[in-house]
Amino acid sequence: MATKDFTTNDPMIDPETGEFRVLGQGQTFNSVTAKISDIVLTPHTPWGWYGFFVVAGSVTGILMTAVTWLFLKGVGIWAITQPVAWGFAIINFVWWIGIGHAGTLISAILLLFKQGWRNSINRFAEAMTIFAVVCAGMFPLIHVGRPWLGYWLFPLPFTMNVWPQFRSPLLWDVFAVSTYATISVVFWYLGMVPDFGTLRDRAKSPFAQYFYGMMSLGWRGSVKHWMRYETASLLLAGLATPLVLSVHTVISFDFAVAVLPGWHTTIFPPYFVAGAIYSGFAMVLTLAIPLRKFYHLEALVTERHIDNMGKVMLGTGGIVAYGYGMEVFMSWYSASHWEFFMMWNRMFGPMGWAYLVLIFCNIAFPLTTLWVRKWRTNITFMFILSLIVNTGMWFERFVIVVTSLYRDFLPSSWGTYRATKWDYATFFGTLGLFTFLFLLFVRFLPMIPMNEIKLMLPSAKIKPKEPAAAGSEGH
Amino acid sequence: MSSEAGKSNMQQDPNGNGMTAVAEANAGLTLAEVRERLKGVKGKKYWRSIDELAGTPEFEAAVAKEFPDQASEWIDPVSRRGFMKLMGASMALAGLAGCTKQPEEPIYPYVKAPEDLILGKPNYFATAMPFPTGGVPLLVKSDAYRPIKVDGNPDHSYNQGSSDVFSQGSLMDMYDPDRSQRATVRGNVADWADFYEAYREKLLASKGNGGEGLYFLTSAITSPTLERQWSEAQKAYPKAKLVQYEPALAGTAFAKGFNPQYSLDKADVIVSIDADFLSGAAYPGFHKLVRDYAKRRKLADGDRTMNRLYAIESTPTTTGMKAEHRLVLRASEIPAFAADLAAAVGGNGASPSGYSWTEEQTKFLNALAKDLKASGGKSVVIPGLYQDPSVSFFAQGINVALGNVGKTVAYGTVAGQASPSDQVADLKSLVADLNAGKVDWLIMLNTNPLYDAPADLEFKSAMNNAKMTVHLGLLPGETGAEAIWHLPAAHYLESWSDVRSYDGTVSIVQPLIEPLYGGRTTHDFFQAMLDEPMVSAYEAVRATWKADLSKGGDFEQNWRKALHAGWIDGTAYTPGTTPTALAAAKAPQPVSKDTFEIIFRPDTNVYDGRYANVGWLQELPRPITSLSWDNAALVSAATLTKLGVEEGDILEITANGRKVKTPVLVAPGHPENSATLYLGYGRQEGRVAGGAGFDAYLLRTSDALHYTTGTVKKVDGKWGLAVTKSHYQDHRGKLAGGRGDGNYSLEWNEADIRGVIRAATLEEFKADPNFANQDTDERSIDHKDATLFPNWQYNGNAWGMSIDMNSCTGCNACIVSCYAENNIAVVGKQQVRIGRNMQWLRIDTYFEGDLSAPRAHFQPMMCQHCENAPCEEVCPVGATVHTPEGLNTMVYNRCVGTRYCSNNCPYKVRRFNYLLYSDFETESLKLMRNPDVSVRSRGVMEKCSYCVQRIQEVKITADKENRAIKDGEIVTACQQACPSQAITFGNINDPGSRVKKLRDDSRSYSLLADINTRPRTKYVAEVLNPNSELAEAPVEHAG
Repeated sequence: MATKDFTTNDPMIDPETGEFRVLGQGQTFNSVTAKISDIVLTPHTPWGWYGFFVVAGSVTGILMTAVTWLFLKGVGIWAITQPVAWGFAIINFVWWIGIGHAGTLISAILLLFKQGWRNSINRFAEAMTIFAVVCAGMFPLIHVGRPWLGYWLFPLPFTMNVWPQFRSPLLWDVFAVSTYATISVVFWYLGMVPDFGTLRDRAKSPFAQYFYGMMSLGWRGSVKHWMRYETASLLLAGLATPLVLSVHTVISFDFAVAVLPGWHTTIFPPYFVAGAIYSGFAMVLTLAIPLRKFYHLEALVTERHIDNMGKVMLGTGGIVAYGYGMEVFMSWYSASHWEFFMMWNRMFGPMGWAYLVLIFCNIAFPLTTLWVRKWRTNITFMFILSLIVNTGMWFERFVIVVTSLYRDFLPSSWGTYRATKWDYATFFGTLGLFTFLFLLFVRFLPMIPMNEIKLMLPSAKIKPKEPAAAGSEGH
Repeated sequence: MSSEAGKSNMQQDPNGNGMTAVAEANAGLTLAEVRERLKGVKGKKYWRSIDELAGTPEFEAAVAKEFPDQASEWIDPVSRRGFMKLMGASMALAGLAGCTKQPEEPIYPYVKAPEDLILGKPNYFATAMPFPTGGVPLLVKSDAYRPIKVDGNPDHSYNQGSSDVFSQGSLMDMYDPDRSQRATVRGNVADWADFYEAYREKLLASKGNGGEGLYFLTSAITSPTLERQWSEAQKAYPKAKLVQYEPALAGTAFAKGFNPQYSLDKADVIVSIDADFLSGAAYPGFHKLVRDYAKRRKLADGDRTMNRLYAIESTPTTTGMKAEHRLVLRASEIPAFAADLAAAVGGNGASPSGYSWTEEQTKFLNALAKDLKASGGKSVVIPGLYQDPSVSFFAQGINVALGNVGKTVAYGTVAGQASPSDQVADLKSLVADLNAGKVDWLIMLNTNPLYDAPADLEFKSAMNNAKMTVHLGLLPGETGAEAIWHLPAAHYLESWSDVRSYDGTVSIVQPLIEPLYGGRTTHDFFQAMLDEPMVSAYEAVRATWKADLSKGGDFEQNWRKALHAGWIDGTAYTPGTTPTALAAAKAPQPVSKDTFEIIFRPDTNVYDGRYANVGWLQELPRPITSLSWDNAALVSAATLTKLGVEEGDILEITANGRKVKTPVLVAPGHPENSATLYLGYGRQEGRVAGGAGFDAYLLRTSDALHYTTGTVKKVDGKWGLAVTKSHYQDHRGKLAGGRGDGNYSLEWNEADIRGVIRAATLEEFKADPNFANQDTDERSIDHKDATLFPNWQYNGNAWGMSIDMNSCTGCNACIVSCYAENNIAVVGKQQVRIGRNMQWLRIDTYFEGDLSAPRAHFQPMMCQHCENAPCEEVCPVGATVHTPEGLNTMVYNRCVGTRYCSNNCPYKVRRFNYLLYSDFETESLKLMRNPDVSVRSRGVMEKCSYCVQRIQEVKITADKENRAIKDGEIVTACQQACPSQAITFGNINDPGSRVKKLRDDSRSYSLLADINTRPRTKYVAEVLNPNSELAEAPVEHAG
């Protein structure tokens, strides 16, 4: 990290190393380990955790009910119709996949860019990625008319001798999402191996010892282990980095490859990726802020983290804003009536309200306030902002999917879209499932990587000549 | 949908008094004022549908509450249980019917006669559908001895293979699972034999007094045999009385025997005075009139002449919407207009009515009179069926004065009905006799007076004065439930009879199947009164035609020939030249413009209510309004605003002291201060009919059967109408590409800009034959090579279609034909309301010009079978693929239902089975299905296949005969039904094929060519022939 000519009394600068202070002061190796592993190993689960768990479990129950009814009756229980044949399911799919992207960006790209501050948040951001992919991946499977035949989308060698149709972006989705899910899970797990070792060593109950022992794959913390661990991390980061860009690019092809005005546009890949990271960071904030409060992790996830994430959102939000602007500009500049009408209809048609919501939530509100550092470090404000951006990004997908479809080429077939209770049940149900999984994660897995946090402690930094500090090479 | 589902739509309006803002608009609100009001709501305030005229929030609230509760209305458990009960009953009955040995009554197959039944190989039988306005000659496809498709008889001179929504829908009418399945007496199950015994006893007992007290009430008698049987019965029972009552036709000149024969193919100028002869078989001679009308609009082979249609009408119909010039008048003004037109042309010494016409109306009248005079002998004036008799009188006068008689119109021919009578007077005297206690037995045959008799006759209380009431009908209906005896009738596809078509040709109605539920016909009732009571209808029909068919040789041989061909030679009317003697009439004075007029019309889909239980017809969107599953009070947009209501609000209409509550709907081009009520709705019974719409018969009195006056007010409540195509007003400013202030249709403006509809006047067409395909126009250029993928190569056949927009009148026959051919599911009102109707073929209607007086463009729209099909590229499993002959096919078995293809279809012609729509349970409907087409299950996409099963059938036949497929050999279901022959199908690789010629026509254009889909269906652009004197011809051709 760069050392600049800052005044030494800046509380954000570590006086010993001259680096930006990321963690709170007074942390030691022991305090970090105790703090994080105690959350997992304590026999006293906080009551609040149970409260959330019951609520999230009930909402997951709603999801199960909704999906069961869906399988019994068919996708007609949703509001999808002609001409809007895709609705909440695809909106939710894109939204969840987008959210996942922040986790991968934090764990892979920021690792490659040696952004040490990421260490505090990468673990639960990765967990968020995986659970978001779980929620997202569910939708393409359940939204098809005959879900029991969903496996036909995979190129499996059947006796039928029929292959999938490789020109279809939906098929590319299958590969993109399954690759993404695999890499994310592997990366996540690999990152946890040293921490599993710590947990194994600190666990009191035989079951925990056995479980974390299994999970730690025989981790002993030897230099060789560390070396291989770091190499594997780097390799996986290298593999995951293109995925950050490619997965949402492929998702955007679902739309961009179609002929429909409002979908058929070349700006979608970058705009989708930026939007994904934007919404993902918003979701990380939505998760991090209550977590640090609830588990008193203010010293590990500091205002500095919140501030940095705000900056990333400012950057990606700017790209998203540029995308919106370009869409509007191109609808005029292309001199294509289709584009022009689509944009007019999107902004001023019967569903113009959705566009207004989107502009407010994604541009008007965040991109005016995030410039101010005072607000970026205001925890309450950032929490509200993250919720607003999450809403806005959901509406972005709503606007893309619905307002392009409901008034397309032939005016005779124009229609409308009104979500049903089952649409809402499924959507909110996935929020429940996500929370449910996340609660299990914070309870049973180390939500902050102890080994990586320790590298950021002053005590790790000021002994550069110590041979034991090989691990710091990677940072 | 069941009555429950229907009722649940009746919701209380939470903002019950939210109308006050608009209600302030005083009673004298004119169109100009309405427009003024509308100017305030342009721009962003841009809500759905026409009903936003008033701009109030009620509509939004209504829409919001319509949809969220949809999920509870998927499946109606009551009707499903009902299904099972009926199924059980039908199975039991089928077993019983099998035990009776029936007398041998051979029927003879048509041209494609196999030696014996070959399973999978259908037979075709000629028959005819009796209909009050004239029989429709049919050729019915029978598979394994069950009729599965009804089509017009292609060899018959009258309809030449075309059909209409009623004859197409009559197939489902026969398989209706709600049909009466057994005789009942006072609600208890009985036998036909029991009834026969009682009936014979009564007949024997009345023999002495000449049948006094014996009354028959029947629907119009269209069968010559029935007429003969009755006249013989009358001799045996001189005091027995026969009353014919046809709710749609009672009181018309037609029912009294006025049946002119028009030859529109010889007419340059056609004037319709409230005659809706283009929209359906409700108008006598529909099939021939449409064909002849369209024949003069083909502009084929360098022909540059065409006819011109003027329409003066009191409610918007397809006839008016197709007309070059349409004049909207209030119903009571039309007789005066006819009188003034007759006076202007010099017909039957008519004197002007003295009514003060507006400037616009006078201009129209003068221009029309001038045009008519200039086209003497080449013009024709057609009077409306449901108008004052004076209109027929004046129309005839004009035709005589112009020298049209003998050229474009023939009078003095035989009546359209076998036994014309003054139905209203007869019915009145029947009611009087009933009330006077003179009626012993009242036998009601194929009629439902408790439902459709004029309300003022109070038929129900009168009927109960009869000592015995007997009802014969396909369904019990209101009358069957009340009558002492109810007897199941045989459908025309189950029984022998005969019928005359419009041109007088007699067709034998031969059965295609044994009566499913042991039904009998009117023939049996009348025969029972004769000396040989047990003579079957078959023998009776043979006896009627014995003399005629014995003329040219052996009777048996000629009989077989008549059955085989579908008609009896030499029975057509000889065109007469003597005008029908009509009582000289004076046009009644129009009612004041401030009086609210109410117009009654038989419905375009369910007619007088007889087809109310036919799902295909209920779900069929009506022409002009696109309304399905209900009827509504149709009013103009200005009247809607004046009344201060929204579409779907409930109006209480009061007329002649009677009240009815009805939802209101805007019909573009409706006259001001009046409402049209379509008959045939408001039924309580029937799994399909029950709960749909409201009963307009409740307002209809015997002295005002076709239009009357009344008052109207808003009452609480909302009714969710299933309109398949919402209409939007264009409130966009010029900057946003709009050109309206809300007076124009957004869809039309967009359709015009997008080149969806391309039209020109005849003059423009002569000046520029390529008007539809300008070289500079991106929308017309074929970008054959602008694709990443190699173009398809077609070495053999390449199927294509051409649709003539000039010919299509939007009559919907094609849609019902498609239903029957392709086993399309009926989804029910709630599903239609959220846009999930399954029709593979739809008629897109665009309203051009000011919405208070628009012209409609009808565009049949089905899968375009694109060369570069966007759907094919995006299907992840390859369930929609291109065939080597260029068809874009759906592989149902492979479809997983991602619906991506539908999203990517620019024409939105794909239909998805969101739920399990096909009925896999009802036994009788299983018999109806086309075995060559899969019945689609839930979760599968479907769409028009160009009737691939028909293509395959012809290919196999041609293959076996080792020959090429002849042009015109493959006929799609829509093409076959089309009375205007607007649809042509064939091989575009064959340079001599008709479809190839049409596709190469300068007027032929591809829809959305600029997105390079290269569709296989092309449209032939419209050409209109306006009168230059009526300068403001609302023609705008695509730029």
